[in-house]
Amino acid sequence: MSTITIAAPSNSDVVKAPSLRPQNRQFAILAILVVVAIPLPLILPAAQGAVAVRILIFLLMAVGWNIMSGFGGMFSFGHAAYFGLGAYTSAYLLVKHNVSPWIGMLAGMVVAAAVAVVIGFFSFRYKLQGAYFALATFAFAEMLRLIVTSSAFANKSVGYSVPLIQGSSLWQIQFPADSPAYFWVALFLAGAAVAISIGFLHSRAGRYVTAIRDDELAAASLGAPVLRHKLMTVALSAAITAVAGAFYTQYYLFVNPDLGFGSAISIQAIVPVVIGGIGTVWGPVVGAIIIGSLTDVTATLLRTPPGFLGFLQGRSGLDVVLYAVLVILIVRLLPKGIVGTLAARWRR
Amino acid sequence: MTELDTGAPVVPETAPPDRKAKADKGFLGRAGIVAAVLVVAIVLALVQSGSGLVVWQSVVTGILTGGLYGLIAMGLTLIFGVLDIVNFAHGAFLAVAMFISFGMVQATGLHPYLTLVVAVPVLFLLGAAVHRGLLSGAGGRSLENQLLITLGLSLLLENGLLMFFGAEPKTIALPGDFQFPLLGAVVAGSRLYAFLGAIVLGGLLFWLLRRTRLGTAIRAVAANASGAALVGINVRRMHTLTFAIGTACAGAAAVLAGPLVTVTPTLGEQFNITAFVVVVLGGMGNVVGALVGGLLIGLVEQLTTIYLGGQSSLLGVFVVFVLVLFLRPQGLFGRRA
Amino acid sequence: MSARMLVAGLGAVALLVTGCGGSAPMGAGGAAAGRDEGPVKIGALHPVSGSNAVDGLQMRRGAQLAVDAINAAGGIKSLGGRKVELVTGDTQGKADIGQSEAQRLISAGAVSLVGTYQSAVSTNVAVVAERNRVPFVMDVTASDAIFSHGYRYSFRVQPGSKAIATAAAQYLKAVSDQAGKPVRKVAFLHEQSDFGSGAADAFTAAAKQLGIGIGPNISYDATTVSDLTAQVTQVKASGADVLAVAGYYRDSLLAAKAIASVKPDLNAVWGVSNGAYDQPKFVADAGALGNLYFSANYHYDATNPETVTLREKYQKQYGDPMRTGAVLSYDAVQVIAHGVEQAASTDPEKVRDAIAGAQVAPLTVGRGQIQFAPNGDNRNAFPVLMQVRDGRVQQVYPPEKAESRPDYRVAWRP
Repeated sequence: MSTITIAAPSNSDVVKAPSLRPQNRQFAILAILVVVAIPLPLILPAAQGAVAVRILIFLLMAVGWNIMSGFGGMFSFGHAAYFGLGAYTSAYLLVKHNVSPWIGMLAGMVVAAAVAVVIGFFSFRYKLQGAYFALATFAFAEMLRLIVTSSAFANKSVGYSVPLIQGSSLWQIQFPADSPAYFWVALFLAGAAVAISIGFLHSRAGRYVTAIRDDELAAASLGAPVLRHKLMTVALSAAITAVAGAFYTQYYLFVNPDLGFGSAISIQAIVPVVIGGIGTVWGPVVGAIIIGSLTDVTATLLRTPPGFLGFLQGRSGLDVVLYAVLVILIVRLLPKGIVGTLAARWRR
Repeated sequence: MTELDTGAPVVPETAPPDRKAKADKGFLGRAGIVAAVLVVAIVLALVQSGSGLVVWQSVVTGILTGGLYGLIAMGLTLIFGVLDIVNFAHGAFLAVAMFISFGMVQATGLHPYLTLVVAVPVLFLLGAAVHRGLLSGAGGRSLENQLLITLGLSLLLENGLLMFFGAEPKTIALPGDFQFPLLGAVVAGSRLYAFLGAIVLGGLLFWLLRRTRLGTAIRAVAANASGAALVGINVRRMHTLTFAIGTACAGAAAVLAGPLVTVTPTLGEQFNITAFVVVVLGGMGNVVGALVGGLLIGLVEQLTTIYLGGQSSLLGVFVVFVLVLFLRPQGLFGRRA
Repeated sequence: MSARMLVAGLGAVALLVTGCGGSAPMGAGGAAAGRDEGPVKIGALHPVSGSNAVDGLQMRRGAQLAVDAINAAGGIKSLGGRKVELVTGDTQGKADIGQSEAQRLISAGAVSLVGTYQSAVSTNVAVVAERNRVPFVMDVTASDAIFSHGYRYSFRVQPGSKAIATAAAQYLKAVSDQAGKPVRKVAFLHEQSDFGSGAADAFTAAAKQLGIGIGPNISYDATTVSDLTAQVTQVKASGADVLAVAGYYRDSLLAAKAIASVKPDLNAVWGVSNGAYDQPKFVADAGALGNLYFSANYHYDATNPETVTLREKYQKQYGDPMRTGAVLSYDAVQVIAHGVEQAASTDPEKVRDAIAGAQVAPLTVGRGQIQFAPNGDNRNAFPVLMQVRDGRVQQVYPPEKAESRPDYRVAWRP
């Protein structure tokens, strides 16, 4: 691969510019992170282990969303569609046809990517942009949810429960409840997703995509095949999000229309990236770690509050209030996200 | 900069001024098409259900509910059209105003509609504070930041209400509520009041935007913020004012809708999505469009129930929404207010 | 504060300081930590925040009252009077949070779980229980699907959706015959998710066997519906003489408003697993609209003096009338304590076996003692028919549980 030649746009909007440093550095950082994370489940108590797995699922969704909305600049508010398709495809194949969730995951990726291309094609064909594009993706996700809720072949609103097996099996992605294997599988998937996102950003296609994002007209006039690259980005993003959905189903062993296609899922894909830094490689990682543990930290704090906060104990809704305040504060104080702001400061 | 974070309107405005007459003709044509589609849809519904009374009641209910949707969407369309902010906290503002109304009725025994006197100013101030404190400036410019801030705000408001009032559903009783038959269909007085309120509010906003200096300034800012700044309009103040007027509308809508619904902290979610659909349908920033869009969505909901028993009425709403987004993203009546 | 440690640990991994970090003591250890000494822990999982917080809190308190009662009576006698302690978790009404909270409570040494009010959350927690081999006694969980998977560790106290709907049809037949106005055709109005349509399907099946006609069958989306007038008009046009309604609180109240304005020619309004028509709050909110509404549902046993005492105690302690859900939680905790007593052990496996064979007298309406079928469902779970009478919900059928006789008519017709 050649080195990166795209220069950052001359204005101050550095967040969305691809990194100027060779991707090898990013790969190296990723490798270190993964290696450091491997012993985590052996150290953490079981309940925190569950939170760690949840963080990795957040991370997968965030990486998927970031490819389309951060690198590609196409703001999706309907990633629940792809998450749900991944979850439902793998669950359907496993429950009805006893197909391994790994194959189900691949099938889910294909289905999600195909649906994303169709939705994307129509949206780009009719030149939907910005808020309108976001609302359209939202509408599609909601339509999928409503259709699944009333379709007998998808078990209507009941959803699917993954059958339990005796013992553990990597092929079936099923282990004893507090087994570290869940974390390792998730870590492998998340690591691969981050690696793909690094590779994609620095590939020829990725450079086209960011160029199209920054100035579609200019990129098109220089001969970049705009529609093809946009669709490719959308498909890749959907496929990674589908992996999150398929793994979610295996880990929680249950999916229903709200858990798969609910609008809360779309929001869960967005929040970590915006907090971490949209359009950056590490933004989704940092954001997922913070957001994934935030709910748990606030809940724990309120369950056993330190003395001076004792009066807050058991007030229902307070943990969500804290969460909301923190999210608003981070967005207000660091409008480019944590990584984006740090990177901007570093470069100055 | 990408298209996401410029302050410019998302919809390209292509119509030069000399095409106004043509645009008007197109407008009438579109209205005709919409009306024709509606008539066909209603006839089909008649065939499907086989009962004239049921369809007639559905149409009446659809129009009355649609008025309510239009009422709720009006403030949103103003904010969307002028500030380009996708305000996901609108539903939460609605809930706040409803709890204000509920609390006052509970504490003082006032007639629910009289709580307008408090709810509207409070929501106006709340809107102004939210815009100044959270949404103006660099942090609130990009779509993703707006989304997170307004979503976070709605979480904050909803759960604040939850902490303060508890999750128990509340009802606001309307003294002297009545109902009357209308050619066999029943019309509840409270719904009729909300419908009339929607028309009055729509008229008021239309007058404000068209016939006052303030309205002219707001429209100028919406059309071209930097141009407006050049002629001496304080753009930021106009934005704050517009946002505040938009939330004040939510306050008015909430008071009128209060007796019709069960008041819970999360009740806004139920209306937020529909309100967005109505806004896009009516053309963003178009107050009268929002009213008409609301009526259409009300009818679509009711007709979906007849066509597709066992499906959520939302499905029909989203189908219409996506079609409008693709075919006419500036809305059925897409001229800016 | 182990969650803090987690943040600190992961934060270090990500080479960043999040500000939430800091030195913190080690959290709870491995699974069986602390089960063998100290109080016997029972894990209660309910949605105490979010939109179901009122019921969730009620149920948590119900469970706490049961624990207090057990301790007041001398704790677990077979374990030398060891006390019982309730460890609590908040599901926030979300399935994935429910799962991690369940895992946390089990790690904290819970011998058994009780919960969770919502079917989707219970489904997730049932899986956790199954995989950790810890018994899970459901207080409120309507869905029957959980009991079709052959789980060994899942039990349920309340009657399931199907049991209620079937009984509702039988009661309707009996009560209408008794009143001399035998039911001909029932229109069914229900919300469209698992809960409402499940009730409608089971009711339809039972009604067919009894020779009752069904139709039309109308569904709506409970999360968005804002008016049911057109649907009730459809009922009126159909000529049905009974309207059955299966919905949550908000939409059932909407239905009541629509019924009051359309005034269809009915002989009765029949709630099936209805979330509103047996609630004192409905009586207050609907006023005259809701008078004479029937509701077939699980219910605290108003004819049992022990239940009356318990509810008085709750009222005194928390200043709030105790709801059926809380009484079910009370029953569920009693079942668990009974299991521990019989097993004379805090080994979840032994407790599970003891619960499977347990016989406990309930404070909710039942056909007899709580006793579990092989699939974990309560064999003697049994709904009761209630009616709104003079501003109060009263048990009216079957006669042995009745406070007064059913009045088979509607308020707006003579």
